[in-house]
Amino acid sequence: MGAYGMDRYSVGGIGNIDLVPGTGGQIYADKQLVVLRTTSPDGLSFSGEIDASNSHAVGTAISSAQVSDRNIHIEVAGLLFCDISGIRAFVSAAEALPKGHRLLLHGLPAQLETVIEVVGWSRMPSLVICTCEGD
Amino acid sequence: MSANFTPPVNEFRHEALLYAGMADFLAGTVPFVRGGVEAGEPVLVVESAAKIARLRAELGSDTGSVVFADMADVGANPARIIPAWRDFVNQHAGDGRRLRGIGEPIWNGRSPLELIECQRHESLLNTAFATGDPWWLLCPYDTAAMDPAVIDEARRSHPYVTDGTTFRRSNDYRGLDACSAPFDVPLPAPGVEVRELAFDVGHLGEVRGLVGRYAEEAGLPSLRIANLVVAVNEVATNSVVHGGGKGWFRIWRDAGALSCEVRDSGRIDKPLVDRELSAAEAYGSRGLWLANQLCDLVQIRSLPEGSAVRLHTWLKPAPAPAAAHHRGIDSIL
Repeated sequence: MGAYGMDRYSVGGIGNIDLVPGTGGQIYADKQLVVLRTTSPDGLSFSGEIDASNSHAVGTAISSAQVSDRNIHIEVAGLLFCDISGIRAFVSAAEALPKGHRLLLHGLPAQLETVIEVVGWSRMPSLVICTCEGD
Repeated sequence: MSANFTPPVNEFRHEALLYAGMADFLAGTVPFVRGGVEAGEPVLVVESAAKIARLRAELGSDTGSVVFADMADVGANPARIIPAWRDFVNQHAGDGRRLRGIGEPIWNGRSPLELIECQRHESLLNTAFATGDPWWLLCPYDTAAMDPAVIDEARRSHPYVTDGTTFRRSNDYRGLDACSAPFDVPLPAPGVEVRELAFDVGHLGEVRGLVGRYAEEAGLPSLRIANLVVAVNEVATNSVVHGGGKGWFRIWRDAGALSCEVRDSGRIDKPLVDRELSAAEAYGSRGLWLANQLCDLVQIRSLPEGSAVRLHTWLKPAPAPAAAHHRGIDSIL
């Protein structure tokens, strides 16, 4: 099934929101998405697939992560799929940040960049798509 | 110009130019473009590369402010043409400035599926520009090359019609209400075996899995596969969010296309829902907009029992084995 199906990610309970803020470990998991807290850089790592069934978890995970840095680093290289509602959730989370704070997306798959461009969300000042390694 | 015809001044002048052959085409379009240039009006010509070359040659130095675009790029998927005209109007209109355009979305090589959607596009142009800044769009139709039924439909989708010398209102124009009405022309039954799947919010991943597998088997490149998966997922998500919470998905592949269909019990009421993108628009419209940007052809139907959306990806025929083999040897040498 490759990267298009949901059955590769069987982590945690089905549909359970499993929030463990501030522990440095797993913040959220369902049958197709895992969110982990990262400390270097300070932020979160998303792996799996985001669609209408779980995009609500994006904002919840980001707001509960208690990242103290002005820049919240989000690693999305392991994101095999993200729909518009998921992208919208990242955009909304970026907009909800205090003034001067930013959400930095790392490792965004090229295809997701296309989607962000097409739906017209590529010029969000608070959402930064990082293309360089380790910045 | 016929004696009893008063050209519209403060409305969108959507006019079919019925011509026969290249000389006739030039006789109808060159004075139109020159008239725009002389009046200082921005002019956008969306035509085939061959016709653009002939127009440039005829116009000579008069082409200064005229912008040319290849219809094969702009309008391969005809649902992308209205957004292109919208950009042109938004960019140039205002302060009473008038604009002119030439757009020929229908040519002899259009497939039957494309033709139906091109004709829907022509009707929807009236809806799209019924309000807002008035401008003049000339749509050439080659009567020598087209089926007479195509010309008949052009008379129904255009409020104005000309042969290049005589201008008149089209008596057959179907009117704005009919142009904007839900589109319910039946979709042809798939000619091959289909795979079906009923889905709700918990089964979107299975829909994506099927699309990905079929697309891989069809030999599509990875970016096209990913784009198709995104497009189908958004349309299926519309069913979950707006279309009654569930839907029915079908997928099939024939010699020419990989086709996906999403049906649900919801209604698609806004006629331009897939060709307008505004920040204030509801969530659903971005999905259909996205589908048009990512797929070769999208067919939307409002049916008594709900709605249907078909997304087609054209499959290029594989190169002939002999030719491929020959190139392979050349590259080794």
